Amino acid sequence: MSTRDLARIGSILKAIHKMTERPMILMEVCGTHTVSIFRHGIRELLPSSIRLLSGPGCPVCVTDQADIDAALSLARRKDTLIATYGDMLRVPGSRTSLAEERSSGSDIRIITSASQCIDLAMEHPDREVIFFAVGFETTAPATASLVLEASRKELPNLSVINFHKRTPPVLEALAMDPSLKIDGFILPGHVSVILGHGPYSFLAEKYGKASCIAGFEGEDILLAIADLCLQIREGRPRAASVYPRAVRPEGNPMALELMDRVFLSGPAKWRGIGPIQDSGFAFRKEFSPFDARIKWDLHIPETEPPEGCRCGDVLSGKITPRECPLFSTACTPVKPVGPCMVSSEGTCSAYFRFARGGNPDWKR
Amino acid sequence: MEKITLGHGSGGRLTQELIGKVVELFPPQLVAGDMEDCTFIDDHMAMTIDSFTVTPRTFPGGDIGKLAICGSANDLAVRGIAPENIAMSLVIEEGFELEELKKYMRSAAKVCQDLGLRLTAGDTKVVPAGALDGLFITTCSVGRRKTSYPLGMNNLRPGDKLMVTTSIGQHGATIGAERFNLSSENLRSDCGSLWSCIQDIIDVDGLRCLRDCTRGGLGTALCEWAEGTGYGMEIEEVLIPLSEEVSAICDILGFDPLYLACEGCALIGASPSAMDRILARLRNNPISSDTRVIGEVVENHGRIVGMKTLIGGMRIVDMPVGEMLPRIC
Repeated sequence: MSTRDLARIGSILKAIHKMTERPMILMEVCGTHTVSIFRHGIRELLPSSIRLLSGPGCPVCVTDQADIDAALSLARRKDTLIATYGDMLRVPGSRTSLAEERSSGSDIRIITSASQCIDLAMEHPDREVIFFAVGFETTAPATASLVLEASRKELPNLSVINFHKRTPPVLEALAMDPSLKIDGFILPGHVSVILGHGPYSFLAEKYGKASCIAGFEGEDILLAIADLCLQIREGRPRAASVYPRAVRPEGNPMALELMDRVFLSGPAKWRGIGPIQDSGFAFRKEFSPFDARIKWDLHIPETEPPEGCRCGDVLSGKITPRECPLFSTACTPVKPVGPCMVSSEGTCSAYFRFARGGNPDWKR
Repeated sequence: MEKITLGHGSGGRLTQELIGKVVELFPPQLVAGDMEDCTFIDDHMAMTIDSFTVTPRTFPGGDIGKLAICGSANDLAVRGIAPENIAMSLVIEEGFELEELKKYMRSAAKVCQDLGLRLTAGDTKVVPAGALDGLFITTCSVGRRKTSYPLGMNNLRPGDKLMVTTSIGQHGATIGAERFNLSSENLRSDCGSLWSCIQDIIDVDGLRCLRDCTRGGLGTALCEWAEGTGYGMEIEEVLIPLSEEVSAICDILGFDPLYLACEGCALIGASPSAMDRILARLRNNPISSDTRVIGEVVENHGRIVGMKTLIGGMRIVDMPVGEMLPRIC
């Protein structure tokens, strides 16, 4: 990083410090932002009047426990091959995780792109390849493209257990929650590459909340915080962006069209938060042969979260990890109780790994 | 019933736990060794053992044969011990092509020749197809101390300088890129022997200790020093050598370069007065020409590695727990 970069960062910080006479609560919605804020040590550069809350932006953390149990039940069958993104591996269902099933002999493959499932299905015609699809609008287009390709190829042994989730509906749930009192949102960069600016305008128009799309470098996040401070101070909230190098106002039309061709909006259950209307991606009828829930007649029984675990309250920004009684005592990265401690993008894991639970005293 | 997962083999916290559970079954008086890369069996001789399994077996910059000799020899070298004798055990899957095996053994022989390392004992086993993935190599090496005092982390004192000999994460990024079809021309494993550069500095008074940053990377090596000495380690992100290629792979897969494996990179602790001589000599050797000072040993935040970030904040570098996995988005 050059001296010029450092000077620029210094002046952004100075601007932030000047604009924060009153306390404000900002929420970063994206798990990658949560990790980035810790990785760059941003909290301690900010004035104490700014409180940063972490939101429900870790895709595996918000996957409901019963949904994971469903995937595990499919993984235990001898005639299946489960493909999923790496982060999903360690997240616990009510009894085990995919990592534990793998060590018991289940065939679980980590993929980096949904399209790899096509090759897997063609290489293993004797087995059912099931893609365990999680993530927000960032990964949903790739799943849509996979389903279209599988449909074109008429692959009989490929299905998707679809737990994708939509970002705007959960933002609305957070914005209207009177117990949260969020002044502004740091909006997810990758999701916004797909969605553009438009789907966030309701935050300012309907709820008077400031918002700003941010990239993932330290400077990107500081810039977004400065923009939010300005919006809040001037009383002029809007859907802003400081990430124009990646996000176009209209988003990515091709990805939006792909999602629209394959999915409809449907209800989805968020771990710890509960069901949110229209926050899920349901298969359109013509693609239902690829819906693993239908193909395998999955009935997912409700399960209780682990006793004492407050991941739900952490995910909705109601508490910080330090306020959970299990945090860093019964629940640590070595022996995690809830998903927020398991995932590399989980809020509790980030608090633990980078800042010993957000306790600034570690430096003494 | 607790089971072994891949996370137990990652070199981080879970690996430590597993080692603890194994070692506690032996009577304490029959267990030698500390938390170092190899152990002195008397005043002068030291010994180490290591197993090697890697997918793919041939990668830019090396192959499993080269890796198996360098890895074991480096574990000795970082304590100032000239690798002299090596024993090698091969476990081979039925159906493995002889020509492929010979290719790896030629690579291994080349390293032995360069180091004057004698193949002293060996063993081969063949197991039925499917019982393992191709080939596992285990090497055990023994050598003699060339320093006037034993190098080890217990020599470290607050104020000592921390250095690394090459840009970090090259091996891990290369293997990761090969596995996920992201390989690029400029990405090469740093797999290689460290003895020649260590030989250059072992007579410098004030050299405290070295560590071979293998599995778990620089971050894990620093954590082990912090936890093993009770001191804090403090590094600056801006000072850590990191290539653009490795950085790009980390961005794509969501890896932290601090925890990516190296196979030819040493972490060095030395007194401030020894620093300049060590730097000058290492920078004269092509395998360590990029040596940099990255931080120092500190009295505060004992047992914790702190890092000043690029933009001036502070964070903890914690020991990773298990397997590093590509993130979702």
